[in-house]
Formats: sequence, structure tokens, C-alpha cells
Amino acid sequence: MKKYACILLAVFLFVNCTEKKQEPIKISPDDLHNSIDHVIDIMIHDIFSPPVASRIFAYPNIAAYEIVAQTNPDYKSLAGQLKDLRPIPAIDTVSGINPQLSALIAHMNISRQLIFSEDKFDVLQDSLFTKWKTMNEPEFEASKAYGLKVAEHIKEWMSKDNYSQTRTMPKFTVDTDDQARWQPTPPAYMDGIEPHWNKIRPFIIDSASQFKPIPPPAFSLEKDSDFYKELIEVYNISNEITKNGDESEEVAIAKFWDCNPYVSVTRGHLMFATKKITPGAHWIGITKIAAKKTNSNFDDTVFAYTKTSMAIADGFISCWDEKYRSNLIRPETLINQHIDENWKPILQTPPFPEYTSGHSVVSGAAATALTSIFGEDFSFEDDTETPYGLPIRKFNSFNEAADEAAISRMYGGIHYRAAVEVGVGQGRKIGALLNSKIEMKKNSSLAHN
Amino acid sequence: MNNKLLYILVLVCALGCKQNKGELFVKRSANDTGITFENTLTETKDLSILDYLYFYNGGGVAIGDINNDSLPDIYFSGNQVKNKLYLNKGNLQFEDITENAGVAGNSSWNTGAIMGDVNGDGLLDIYVCAVVGLNGFNGYNELFINQGDATFKESAADYGLDFESYSSSAAFLDYDLDGDLDIYLLNHAIHTQDSYGNAQIRHKRIYETGDKLLRNDNGTFTDVSEEAGIYGGVNGYGLGIAVSDFNQDGYPDLYIGNDFHEDDYYYLNNGDGTFKESIKEAFGHTTRFSMGSDVADINHDGLPDLISLDMLGKDEIVLKSSEGDDDIQIQKLKTETFGYHNQYTRNMLSVNQPNGKFLETALQSGVAATDWSWSALFGDYNQDGEQDLYISNGIPKRPNDLDYINYISNENIRSKINNTNLVDQKALKMMPSGFIGNMIFKGSNNLQFIDESKTWISQDTIISGATAYSDLDNDGDLDLVTNNLYSPAEIQENTTNNKANWLKIKLNYREKNKFGIGTKVFSYANGIQQFKEMYTVRGFQASSEPLIHFGYGEIYNIDSVKIVWPDKSYQTITNIATNQTLYISPNQNKAFDYSNLHTQKQLLFKKALNNLGIDFIHVEDSYSDYLRQKLIPYQMSDRGPAVSVGDLNADGKDDIFFGGSKYIASQVYVQEDSTFQQITYPEIKMDSIKEDITSIIADFNNDGKNDLIIGTGGADFFNEMKPLTDSYYISSDSVFTKKAFPEMFENTSVLIKLDYDHDNDFDIIVCNQSISADYGNRPNSYLLKNTDGNFNITENPFNQLGMITDAIVTDFNNDGWEDLLFVGEWMSPKFFQNNEGKFTEIHPLENEKLNGLWQSVISFDIDGDGDQDYLLGNWGLNTKFSTSEEHPMKMYYGDLDKNGATETIVSTYKDGKDYPVDGLKELSSQLVSLRKKFNSYSSFAGKSMEDILGENMLPNAEILKVHTLNSGFLKNENGKFTFVPFSYKLQLAPIMSFLEFDFNGDNKTEVLAAGNYFGVKPYHGRFDSFPGALISNNNNITLANKIGLDLIGKSIRNMNIIKFNNNNYILLTFNDEAAEVYQILKP
Repeated sequence: MKKYACILLAVFLFVNCTEKKQEPIKISPDDLHNSIDHVIDIMIHDIFSPPVASRIFAYPNIAAYEIVAQTNPDYKSLAGQLKDLRPIPAIDTVSGINPQLSALIAHMNISRQLIFSEDKFDVLQDSLFTKWKTMNEPEFEASKAYGLKVAEHIKEWMSKDNYSQTRTMPKFTVDTDDQARWQPTPPAYMDGIEPHWNKIRPFIIDSASQFKPIPPPAFSLEKDSDFYKELIEVYNISNEITKNGDESEEVAIAKFWDCNPYVSVTRGHLMFATKKITPGAHWIGITKIAAKKTNSNFDDTVFAYTKTSMAIADGFISCWDEKYRSNLIRPETLINQHIDENWKPILQTPPFPEYTSGHSVVSGAAATALTSIFGEDFSFEDDTETPYGLPIRKFNSFNEAADEAAISRMYGGIHYRAAVEVGVGQGRKIGALLNSKIEMKKNSSLAHN
Repeated sequence: MNNKLLYILVLVCALGCKQNKGELFVKRSANDTGITFENTLTETKDLSILDYLYFYNGGGVAIGDINNDSLPDIYFSGNQVKNKLYLNKGNLQFEDITENAGVAGNSSWNTGAIMGDVNGDGLLDIYVCAVVGLNGFNGYNELFINQGDATFKESAADYGLDFESYSSSAAFLDYDLDGDLDIYLLNHAIHTQDSYGNAQIRHKRIYETGDKLLRNDNGTFTDVSEEAGIYGGVNGYGLGIAVSDFNQDGYPDLYIGNDFHEDDYYYLNNGDGTFKESIKEAFGHTTRFSMGSDVADINHDGLPDLISLDMLGKDEIVLKSSEGDDDIQIQKLKTETFGYHNQYTRNMLSVNQPNGKFLETALQSGVAATDWSWSALFGDYNQDGEQDLYISNGIPKRPNDLDYINYISNENIRSKINNTNLVDQKALKMMPSGFIGNMIFKGSNNLQFIDESKTWISQDTIISGATAYSDLDNDGDLDLVTNNLYSPAEIQENTTNNKANWLKIKLNYREKNKFGIGTKVFSYANGIQQFKEMYTVRGFQASSEPLIHFGYGEIYNIDSVKIVWPDKSYQTITNIATNQTLYISPNQNKAFDYSNLHTQKQLLFKKALNNLGIDFIHVEDSYSDYLRQKLIPYQMSDRGPAVSVGDLNADGKDDIFFGGSKYIASQVYVQEDSTFQQITYPEIKMDSIKEDITSIIADFNNDGKNDLIIGTGGADFFNEMKPLTDSYYISSDSVFTKKAFPEMFENTSVLIKLDYDHDNDFDIIVCNQSISADYGNRPNSYLLKNTDGNFNITENPFNQLGMITDAIVTDFNNDGWEDLLFVGEWMSPKFFQNNEGKFTEIHPLENEKLNGLWQSVISFDIDGDGDQDYLLGNWGLNTKFSTSEEHPMKMYYGDLDKNGATETIVSTYKDGKDYPVDGLKELSSQLVSLRKKFNSYSSFAGKSMEDILGENMLPNAEILKVHTLNSGFLKNENGKFTFVPFSYKLQLAPIMSFLEFDFNGDNKTEVLAAGNYFGVKPYHGRFDSFPGALISNNNNITLANKIGLDLIGKSIRNMNIIKFNNNNYILLTFNDEAAEVYQILKP
């Protein structure tokens, strides 16, 4: 009896397997959102600086976008539009490739290469691969093969962006003799990060210095100089809003846009870091919110991410070019030296020169790109920072959000006014160039709000 | 946990855990002794390591005979638990008399505990420190006055000692020599470590955190800190205190160890009620996270030496997963901008010198890394006549774990910390623990301490803090008592007993200071001096038994013992039997003459008046190699300046050429009748862009006038940049004009002149050390043939010769044709024989495995057998580098990650494997792919070089080796050479230069060796401890600070003899310092 049961069971299993239906694999925009969210979590863990993080967003998106542009007539390939990017291998339309699946796989493959903690990434990738394989193995394998082929193509292009060469370039030399020059700031007194980021190949701008901003006000500690006035303004604003307490709107704004991937905390011998997403990741989060709110399909979502991430990436290149050109000292250093030795900014000063404000530049650039996709008066509720214990903030437009992000750096006590105001303009110029120079969506009607 | 590991642990426990017996010390359990005191901490949501930075520092222990029955009693203070007093009943049996004695204490957080006779009645009182006013801690420092009947009366307020501050410990001393005991109260800061702030904030006195000097004014104590010059700032993290008459002038001095970035304070007693803080003048560098300390004369010179503890891990895994030293730029910021002293994360053993400075030898001595250490106690535990060292260790949680800091903490803390000021237990639990065993080291007569932790004591993983010694069982040896966290206090019985001879001295000094605090005892036996001071506060938060203890090994009779009382009266007792306790009272009125302790040997050198007018200051340019080549083991850019002595203006007198560093002009000083005078040769000065490393003055064109060749380096300019080429100037009339010279772009180290082809002109050998931005590559050196004053490379026997640092011309086969000996880094000395104008390398070394980091060479008959030996300056042994012939230190060189730039990784050998010297943070700053391979510090820690580089990168590496770091000499045995290391005195730092001369006028030449080097990252510290040495022969080596030369703290580059007005002078040229001239005073 037992024996028969076994045979029966075997037959049943056999039949069950062979007769399993091969359903087509459907890729939803949420699959992409989830993957990007997962990558963001890993980036927080691995601790990538804001410029490096921006690069980790851009290349996977472009790979996915190039596949989308192969099959979706609404979109135009970036090949020939971005420096040195050649057309990706053509898709074989008869071999059962699901282009969206290929796009997602290419996206994941490049993301995986760019982050450090592959083991964490594989948790998601393995489960997805198993799921897709079970759903429809031939479709999965064909799509995967093509996705990886495209990923290789993009990685080859990516490998020539000077990133690996900049890893071994000289560290930033601190000039302690010139009191106008940037110095490492408390508490970690870290070296200036990415002093050679302007040598990274940009996506849109023709060179890192294309939108070189006007110089900051000339350094001076004379009380009536423009520079000193901006310095004392940071100090006064900070004191005023601190007096109003944590509940004040300005403090809330400063904290909401902190976006510091590594805030070092020291308690005696005990040290730890509180880590958040980078400014770029915040705007990637806003892109997700907009895409979801408009019910954008997979292809449109890829487009939105791609365009925004290129704006962000070039924003960092442009901004970092200026930072190490003007090499300006942070308000914290000057205030401690000359005004109040016990003063601390509301936000921790990040480890690079002051001018211009990175968050302002990338916010300006990203908001301009997003406005071109989703429209001028696109209101949204920004819940990007809720995982870090911060509230939701509402905005009536991307530009409003960008302006708030910019001014938040003054409230936070880490930037002077010029860095914020010039910075957001610098970013908008990059965004405008992207909108005018790079053709992506052929029928350029706005997404529906 | 891995199962296998568990089995091993169980097995180890089964065999070892019950084993409480070391060869020297046996643990006595609470069951045996009756001591059940246990300092258990109770964490609450409001009180943990997060709320109070010194939560794990533990309590105190004080030992002394409180009832004058000759049996030392023990007092423990607990942080949160009540204090306990145990009466010694003999035979290591103790009775808890806390209740009756009334010494349980009332403060909520007790720290250090010390015994001393505060009111001068001959009875030991107890002073217990407390932290008050933080975290809701209340109470005050309590003073329990001994009533003479084993009861005490708390009387702190009556004496003015009831401080409500953040005290960690206190010490008794009679700083004003008025006969009564004053107190130094050690407080600790809680100031943020977030920002350093200017070092000057130590001048602003803060009650809670500032240390206090308390003068005893007839039974009440007056805070005299301010007038005495004691710092009391918001940033003094006082954890260590040592009292000693460091400068042997009769007045007690103080060493205060401060945690974190605040400097340690070295207070020299001016003798007028004030102190002069002198850390920067006396110490080249100190511990950074300073903890406990102790003082003893470890080298029999009658000067007290100091150990200060830090927290450098010794285990490879701990080392690589813990936060280490500062980045070099932060270090610079602290020292140059904020005004702090050089501080490094490791223990420092500072050996006191006659000129008031200290040599730091912890690395060479083997005591630099003992992990999270609290208390250090010197004592002759095995009674062989040498001071041994006991170190207590351990921390419940390692808050400096890099994974915790960077990865684990965030996921558990997130925003919670800022809002609620608390980390939940889960987050605390994820911090790795540091339950590590205590350590004991056997002392020796050559500054070596041998780790005997596995033999002398039983190993455990209990966290021990405050420690005190005492002869608890009156058997003549020193027993140890530790106050432990989360575990009962321990008595370790010393079982040396009468296996080696000893002497105990108990003092009965005058009224108000019966125990003779501050008394000095010198012992002389078999020509060996031992020196002890009566100070009871030692180690950490503790005081030991008031007792002078000496060990004598096999010696039964002591020639004499000299006792110098605090009032400077002294007495000598001769011919004393060992193995007894002497009770000594003052019986003489003779005053001790402290100047007798400071008589020096005959001085051979004297600082020249006005430096002979030579005011040259070498300024090194600010280029830092580590910004470009992040992983190189030491700098290449700081090897200048060039110096040459010779007649430049054809007046028959010695002139001097000093090279400049990058963009800084060279300088020429010509000798006039009464002084040297700086003059300018415009053509030479114009080349200021070049960094001048070496130079040579000689008549190269045979016109009767001296010419000048300068070898250029600096390691900043790279590729074929013109400033890397060397310069040749010929003198014509009274000017120098530039002349063509072969273009060579390597960083030059040495120029050698010789007539190799016997054509009666000087040919040149240009020796090169490195290629800019490609450290590790072996540069060419070049043979330049002189034809009528023009130099050309005809054929070059010295291609890829190696990283040459020094070379000499020497005819080692005595054939009249000058041969060459080259030395360099990562290579063995190279001999080139001159066969009538052709050089061939020969191999006369008995052992070819002699790669070193050689810095200098000179020929000298050191063994007096009539042939030329060769003295070789190497890196020395006072370093974190380590090597051996069998397991050489290695340097992996190549473009490891194939990105177009080469890198180097240095590894040293430990327990069967090669480990990188640098950690993941440093390595991945150059090799980013390592972050992908090791995404946590724990995954990296303990990985060997093979694991780290793996099969991808390993094949790209060329491996260079170093077999020895010893300086030494090549002993000539009929043309074959054997390497003989120098004594320990010559291994204190790299030896950068030798000079041969008859310095002492005995008609024989000696060699002066000098060194020190600072071009390393903070991880390596600062090699500043070599005072220079005069080598007469291999058995007669005198440190230069004993004969009038002071080279401690300066990094020498050149030594030259100058003749001036019929006297001989020595010109000392340093890197980044003013040049100095000393007269040679030979009789």
C-alpha cells in the first residue's frame, strides 16, 4: 500500500510540474520602486558620500531606460546624447524577451555592482529571480540574458567615467595657514571628501565648470563686509530658531532636509553614527512619490527616475567643482574661532568646503527635471524621511520643495546665504540644460497629475 | 557560535578554568579569604555607558595597616555597591568590619579610594572619591578618620575635603615640604569630545572638573590650585596620577594622565609653592587615551621612570576592528591649530634622562599594547632585582568597535538617541565585549619586558581595574589585590617567598607624616643601584601598602641602603642582610646634596657661543606624501636638507652650503675671522624650486677652485619635471655658474665622489632613493664619468640598484681601486668591487638575508682588530614594524587593482600569517574594491594578506622584504662580513647619520651616531627618543645626552666637522629645525 502511495505521489508531482502553466511575467512600477528602495537601504548601511551615491542612482537608471527606449516608441535613446554612450545591443524581438523584465534586471545588476554589501542585495534579487523563474523560466532566462548584456554594455561605458582613477588621486590638503580656507569640522574632523569629483565624466553638462557660479563674497572678518554679514546672519538665525525650540518651523525644515549619510556622535569612548539618506536619495524618493501619484507605468517611471538622477549626478559634479575651487571655510569653524566657541550648528557640518551648497544645487537641478516631467504646480506629500523619524511635509510644487531644501541649510547653520541662493540657481541651470539639450520623451506632454 | 569553537572553549575551561595557579601568583578565592566584595554595576534606563562616559571605570582599592597589628588591611570602594573594609587576620584570612568601622560610605557613585594619615596621628585614614552632580549622583568625597579602635569617623567637611565634584582619585604628597601631607585631587571632565576646542581652555577653572591642589594648613585643606599653577579646565579628563620627584631636586613633581585629546600634565615643582607644567618640554609624545600610570626606576640610574597606559589592542582581530589613531591631517590640526601635544594610542614607557627629558621605549620594551588597560604597577614580583610590571585589563563593552560605530549602532539607535537620550539594551548588547586577562611582564636590565602573563599568573577574563600591592601575608614578597567589575575582588598571593632574596623597609618619619611619604631609598648591592620612593598612590584609583620593597635574586648581603627623608636629611645603613624588614626612623641631620645625583660624566661637547653666527633654520615644505600615496610606510619628502662643508670662496677656510626644501632657497655661510656670515650666490639661489637633499663640494674641473653639485629630491614633483634634476655649479672668479649635468628624475639621496677610473678627476655616483608617486619601485643610481669637468653617463652598472639611502667609498679589497658599499631600504647592503675602473657586484656577506630599512653607513674598526668594519644605521626596534629572518616584514608593491597607479601594502608576521599594518579604512581608501570584499570590519579583522588581496590582486604584487630592523655592524673577517646587532641603546630610533672623529682626544677615532625620524603616520607615532650615541668600540657606547649633546626630539640629517679658529666644532643639521653647532671640547 505504501509503495503504491509513493508511486501515486510521484506521478502526481510529475504531472503537476509538467503541466504547470507558464504565465507571462508582469513587471510593475512597484517592482522598480522596491528595488531602488532596497538599494537605498544598502547605501545607507554601506555609507556612501552624496556624490558617490548620485552615481549609484544614475547608471542603473540609464541602463533600464535604454532598454525601455528600445521598444517604447515614446522614448528616445540617450546613445549619442550622453558623452561616449553608444547604442546598447539591439533587442531580439522574437525570442520572448520581456523588455521591462530585462530593464529591471539590468538595473539590479548595475546597482549590485555599485554598492558594497552584495549579500544584502542578494536577499531581494534571489527571491525575485526564483519567483520569475517559477512563473516563466524561458521568458525569465531570455530577459535576464538580454538585461545582463545591456548591463555589461553600460558598465563598460561607466568604467570610463574616471571614477576608479579618482579613487587614488591625492587626498585633499588642508591649508591651515589661510583662515579663509576650509578646515575639517567637529566632531569627526573628517578629510574633505571627493576633492576630485569634478574629474568625473558628467552626463549633461559639457564640463564640470559649465555653470561655474559667481565667487562667494570675498572673505573678510571686517564687521561691515558682505562676508561677515553673511557669517553673523548664520549665527543669528541659528540662535533665534534655537530659542524657539525644536518645534519651530525652521528647525523642522532644517532637520527634514538634513540628508546626511553619516552623522557622527561621540559619548566618551562610545561613538556611533546616525545615518540617513543623501540629498540625491531624497529627490529619488520624491520622484517615486510623483510617479506613484500619477500612476505612471513602468516605462514612464523609468524615464522619471533616469532624468532626475542625471540632473542630480551632474548637480554634484558641478557643485563639487566649485566647492574645491573656492575652498571656503564653514560657518561653524569661523563662529567657533571668532564669535562663540561653544556654538554648534543645528545640523552637523558635512565634511567638505562650503560654497556652493550641494543640497541647493541638486535640489534645483532635480526640481527642474521633475517639473518638466510632472508639471509646474504638482503638489505632493513628502514622506521620504519618515523612516528616519521625521514628519511628512507638503509642497505645492517641486520648486517650492527645492527652495525650502536650499534655505534649510542656512537654518541648519552649515551654509551662508550666498551658497544657498547661488546654489539653487546653479542647479536650475543644469536642469534647464537637461530639459533643452537631452531629448528623451518624444511626445513631451506632461504626465497626468 | 561555531560548534567547534564551543568545544574548544569547553575543553579549555575544563582544563584551565579551575586552574587558579600561575607559577608566581596563586589566586585566593573568596571562600579562602573571606573577601566577598564585588563591584557590580546595575544599568538602568537612565544610567549606562551612554549617560556617563566613565560608567565602566570601576571602584578603588587601598591597602594599609589600619590597626597597627603589622597586617595590612584592605579597603574596597564600589561604584554603586557599598564600600568594604576587610581586617587582615593573618594567613590571608580577612574579616569584613565595614559595619562597625563605619566606612560603607554614602555617596551614590564612588571612585578611587586611598589611605593616608591625614591628621598626622600615625593612623591610616581613608579618603574615598565620588562623582557628584551628574546623572543624579549625590554625596561628596568622604574622609574616614581612623579613631584608633578599628572605627572611623567621617570628617571630610571638618578638613575641607568634602568636595562635590567629578573626582576619580587623589594622592598624598608634601609638595611644599612643610612636613604635613597635602592632597592632589584628580577630577575628570565630561566635556564634549565632539569638538576639541583650543587647548587654552584648560586655563579657565571649573569647580566640578578641574583638578585641585589642596594645601594642608594645620589640619584643614586650602585650594591653592590657581596660585600653584595647576590647570583646572573643563577638558581635563584626569584618570592617571603619579607623584614622584622626577627631576631629583627634592621636591615632589606630578604626572597627570588625561583621557582623550587633552594633554597629560607634567608638573615640575618649582620649590616655591608653584609648579611649572612641562609636558612639551620633557616628553616628545604621550599616551592619548591616558589611563593609570606608575613610576619606578627601571634602569638603575636613580631617576624615576614612568609608564602611562592607553588602550591599544594586542590581538589582531581587536586591533583591526577598533578605532585607532587619528588620521594624519587631524593629528596636525590638533597639534598645530589647537595647540595639543603629540599623543598616540598606545602605552608609553618614558625613561627619565639626566637632562630632564624622557626617552619613550614602550614599543622596544614590549609593553606598548596591552588592550583596554587601567592600572600599571611596577614591583619586583620575582625578586630578581629588576622591576616587573603588572597591568590590569578589561572593559565590559568595547565602544570603539568600528562595526558598532558605523553599522550596528545606527540600525538600533536611529533617532532614538537624540530624543530620549538612551539606547535600548539591545543596542548595548551588540557592542562587543572586552573581557581580557590581566598581564604581567618580567623586567630586565636592558629595558626589555617579557610577557609572562601565561606563566606567572593564571589567565582569566575578569575585568580588573584598580590594583594595589602589599605583602599581605608578611612573607616578604608583593601580593596583588584587584577590584573587579561584575566579579569578586581578588587576592593574588605571590609564591616567590624565599626563593629569591628581598628586603622590606618601613619608615617611621616625623610627626604629621609618620609613614614617610616622599622618602627616597637607594640600595646598593653588587655594584647595582636600586631606587624607590615612598608614594602609596599608584596604578589607578588606588593606594598600595606604605612599604619599600627590593628584590635581590641570589644576593644575600646588601652593601648599603641610603634613606633620604623629605626634609633632605639622610642616613646610610651598611652591610644589611636580606630577607628582613627594616624599621627606620631619621637619626641624622646631614643634608643630602641633590646635585650629587646630577653630576655627569666628562662632557665632550658644549653648545657653541652664538652658534658661530650660523642661524640656518631648515623649513620643510608642507607637502605630505600620504595625501598622494596613502599607503606608503613612511615619507619620502622629508629627507633633506643637503649640507656640505668646504671652501667655497678660495680663502682656505671651511664654508657651509645648506640646501633648502621645495621653493625655499638654499643658504651659504662663509667663514670670516670671528663668525660665519651668510652670503648669496644668485645663480644657486635661483634654483630654489628644487628640494636639495644632498650636496658635494669639490674641485671637479681641476681649476683649483671648489665647485658644487646638488642632488635633488623631495618626492613631490613627478615624472620628468625639471625641478627633479640635479644641479652642477662651477666657481669662476667669485661667482658660481650653472653647468650642464645629465638629467635624472629620481629622488636623489646621496652623491659620492671618487676617481674610479684613475684619470685624476672626481667622478660622481648619484644614488637615488625613490621615484615620485611610485614608491616601491627600485630606482636607478648612476655612475657619472668626469671628462674635463663635464659629466656623462657612459655605462651604468647601477640600474635598478634599489632605494639607496647612503653609500660610501671604501677599498675593501685593498687593491688601491676604490670600491663602493651601498645601503638602502627594503634591500641588503650591496658591495661593488672596482676592477680597475669596472664595477662588479660581489657578495661577501655570510648571510645574504640582510634586507633592512638601512639609513646610513660608515666604515670603522669597531672591534679593534685592525680591519674595516661597517656600521649600519637601520630603523631600530622601537617601532610597530617587526620582522625576522624567517618571517620577514613584507611590502606588496604594484598596481594591485589595475587602475594605472601603483600602491604598496606593508605586512608583518604574527602567529603564522602575514597581516597588513594598515586597517580596512586605510587600505580601502586606495583599493576601493576591498570595501566590496569586506563589507564590515569584523569580516576584515584577522584576515591575512593572502586573504585580503586574493587571487585577483596577489599576482600583481612584487614582494619586497625586510629581514632585520636592528642597527648594527658588519664584522670584517678576512673580507667576509657577518652582521652583529648593536645593543638596545642604539635601537631606540632610526639611525640617520654617522660621523667619525677623535671626539675625546684619545688619539683614536670614535663614531657618533645620531637619528630620529618623524615622517610616519600617527599609528607609528614619532621616533624621537634617540639622544645620539658615541661608539668607541662595540662594548663602549655612551648615550650622547650624557656627554653634552642633546639630540632627543630632533631628526638629524647631517653631521659635519667644522674647523674654526683652530677649534673643532660639530655642525648638526636637522630636518625642519634650526642647525646647531657644538664645540668639541677634547682635552
